[in-house]
Amino acid sequence: MTAQRAVGAPVARRDAFEKAVGAAKYASDLFLDDMLWVAVLRSKYPHARIRRIDTSKAESHPNVVAVFTHRDVPVNRYGLFKKDRPVLCDDKVRYIGDPIALVAAETREDALEALKLIEVDYEPLPPVTDPIEAMRPDAPKVHDDGNICREVHLRLGDVDGAFARADVIVENTYRTGAQIHAYLETEAGISYMEDGKIVVVAGGQSPYRDRAEIAHALNLPEEMIRVVTPYVGGAFGGKDDITVQIHLALVTWKTGRPARLVWSREESMMAGTKRHPAIIKIRTAATRDGTILANKIEIVLDKGAYTALGPAVLDVAVENCNGPYRVQASQIDAYLVYTNNMVASAFRGFGAPQVIFAIERQMDLLAKKLGMDPLELRLKNALRKGDRYVFGNVLEGSVGIAQCLEVARSHPLWRSRGRNSCEWPWLRRGVGVAAAMKGYTIGALPDKGVVALELLRDGRVLVKGSFTEIGQGVIQAVAQIAADLLGVSVDDVEVVFADTEVTPDTSVTSASRQLFLAGNAVREAVEALRERVAELEGRLSGRRPARVEFSGGWVFIDSERRYSLQELARLLESTGLGRQVLGVYEVPRVEPLPGTLEIPHLFYMFGVTLAEVLVNLLTGEVTVSKVVSIVDAGRVINPITFTGQVEGAVAQGIGFALMEDAKIRDGYLLTRDLSTYLIPSSKDVPEIEVIPVETEEAEGPFGAKGIGEIGIISVAPAILNAVADATGVEPNAIPLTHERLYWLLKEHGLVEQLRRAST
Amino acid sequence: MYGLKFPHSARTREIRFVLNGSETSVRVPPGYTLLETLRYVLRMTGTKEGCARGDCGECTVLVDGVPVHACLTLMSQVEGRSVLTVEGIDRQHRLIRAFVEEGAVQCGHCTPGIVVAAYHLLSQVPRPTEEQVREALRGNLCRCTGYVKIIRAVLKAGEA
Ligand code: FES
Ligand code: FES
Repeated sequence: MTAQRAVGAPVARRDAFEKAVGAAKYASDLFLDDMLWVAVLRSKYPHARIRRIDTSKAESHPNVVAVFTHRDVPVNRYGLFKKDRPVLCDDKVRYIGDPIALVAAETREDALEALKLIEVDYEPLPPVTDPIEAMRPDAPKVHDDGNICREVHLRLGDVDGAFARADVIVENTYRTGAQIHAYLETEAGISYMEDGKIVVVAGGQSPYRDRAEIAHALNLPEEMIRVVTPYVGGAFGGKDDITVQIHLALVTWKTGRPARLVWSREESMMAGTKRHPAIIKIRTAATRDGTILANKIEIVLDKGAYTALGPAVLDVAVENCNGPYRVQASQIDAYLVYTNNMVASAFRGFGAPQVIFAIERQMDLLAKKLGMDPLELRLKNALRKGDRYVFGNVLEGSVGIAQCLEVARSHPLWRSRGRNSCEWPWLRRGVGVAAAMKGYTIGALPDKGVVALELLRDGRVLVKGSFTEIGQGVIQAVAQIAADLLGVSVDDVEVVFADTEVTPDTSVTSASRQLFLAGNAVREAVEALRERVAELEGRLSGRRPARVEFSGGWVFIDSERRYSLQELARLLESTGLGRQVLGVYEVPRVEPLPGTLEIPHLFYMFGVTLAEVLVNLLTGEVTVSKVVSIVDAGRVINPITFTGQVEGAVAQGIGFALMEDAKIRDGYLLTRDLSTYLIPSSKDVPEIEVIPVETEEAEGPFGAKGIGEIGIISVAPAILNAVADATGVEPNAIPLTHERLYWLLKEHGLVEQLRRAST
Repeated sequence: MYGLKFPHSARTREIRFVLNGSETSVRVPPGYTLLETLRYVLRMTGTKEGCARGDCGECTVLVDGVPVHACLTLMSQVEGRSVLTVEGIDRQHRLIRAFVEEGAVQCGHCTPGIVVAAYHLLSQVPRPTEEQVREALRGNLCRCTGYVKIIRAVLKAGEA
């Protein structure tokens, strides 16, 4: 048998060195001679009709080569779920980042200068910026067909009966904010013509999908467009939708010249997508002993101006809003509502961080009402493998939530809970717990990934797939998997990624699924190679072998004969069988629940977060002093990339919980840079302990699960539960900034109490 | 240089400085920043741009041994001085090795700036404490790693 060596080993990432020495090239690092600098004119208003656009002055500005408006776009609507987003606005602008015109100039300065010369005659319209208001029939309409983009109503089990039987009922409303991705590399790309094709090299997450969007907008066949995704300086879902790609392709197509477009930080903050702000109301029925009977849940997501990936985000919110618990009945009413706020779409967790924040605060409030330990309450209701979940689906994949909770229960941090006082009277310590779940791989939608595996002439192996390296380390993981399956060293596996001209379609890099898909496709490819070797042997010896094994750089045939991979490559080539095979993996599908897109999933990830905080009662300042993240990871492919993913997710969760406050007033974003929109720095992120609970996912490559998102999902509720433990106040909205907590503490008389005590 | 065109109205001036040990001369508008000059004129893209306004630390370079934001440093301020960018750090430096081995690099976009900032720290404090590392890197944002492995890497390089 093949010895498994690379999988599970803490191998250093192959891209780390070139990135650390500054040699790695990102889209924003590419410059072409004779390229045009592109700049985008964006809307001044959150909502306005466009009466007239006059570009004549801009066109005559020195060094300006062309100015583009909607009149130049063949098919002026794009979008993954609904083609409702204008490439360049025509009738209306619907949010402040909406693009109206492009300037392509010989210099950066002249492009920016010319933007100011474009005259747009607006008729401002009343904006609607509160999703609840937007749902009223008389609200200003963002789109002609009304403000409700999508709604889901589910009645699962006997909800009324459950509430009638309940000993306790808890009801609360929770709110979460518009988190901004704030990747360090903004949206960026270049474009040029090559062999009659438009080539777009840009930061993205799915080259094939981007290509389809470009082709649609320019009304060109897909074969005329090549999309390449080099290393991406962070994405987290924010580069799932189109950003610069169509604009670049348009400029190059119309001018025939290379072009460069890189968004400024301010542009990225305004025109980039956000995490959907949410308002979630939960009414829980439970028995005295802590058995949850039912949840009535209402979810409103602020979609912002365009659909983007919103419908899928809404479904994820619906699917996970009951948390990882054996809930027998649930009534769910969920709305995705257009407003004139900035567009919301995919962001790590994809709807789950919002609803898990709500249900996990609710669990603590229920525990408080019942006088139960919050961890015991969770454990009592935790899902187990084989359980029927609230949608009637039997959980056949691995379900590690109970194990995660047990690890949390015996962790010293949890055992130290209750020690609230600190050396100073105005400081209080608290410890909180929260659980998380999320379905992964795309559930009910068809989902297929293809990779190519080529045996190189020198015996090394080349894996090609359209997965994108957005920082998560997928390339390293794919190499490790291929190395083990083929019995070669990781260094003998080369990986080529994300180029529609060279790599087959491995589907999209999102939903924590890329490794799962690509890994399984590699497994299929190795099977295909085995098959090809059998065919080869059949031709050479006239007899099909029974066994073909790869090991130590050799292929063994029926333990009678062996070839080195180099010889094998030569034989495959000389016999005309070919050195390349394809591996195709199709994710097993689940029938979607009527009225939903992809509920339920076949696989779920689980996790538990413990957080320790110190709260300054005088200022409302919360310091997170320790986080423990316990993750049901399936099998860990690479411990370094695994813990790195979780640590990064925890940091984003801390930002989501406490710091990242996108101030939006009447549709205008006030926090447009990284000094007003604060993301965690090295001073804000504490020690993070990552504990993998390795439950085997039988369907995954080597038993691995998706792990990209789970780390963030329960961070915010764990922190807020810790704040509640420290202070006794129950904050139910995030971000919980100093200021907001200060007012809450004051409302509860805590500030007064302290003052009295100190005099 | 590489066909970068300056705006029609721009007056350019020759500016001489030492870049990673080599005498360098560029002709740029004097209002150009060091970051614009490095990336757009010289096409040395190891130094990254994350905000162009002093908030993220991605553009950290050393001018006469002192860390500065290249995006806020004008070329006229650099004249006659010595600039060190990530490209000027020995590729075999223990800091680079520690970043690779500890897994401190994910998307890697913040890494060059952090390497330069940490390089400076180690030149001042060869064996820093965790607190000193956190303090020295407080102006260098990273959105991917949660800093855990970055801090571990710098501490490890400090032990060597
Ligand atoms: S680019 Fe200079 S600090 Fe951000
Ligand atoms: S590694 Fe991506 S920002 Fe630091």
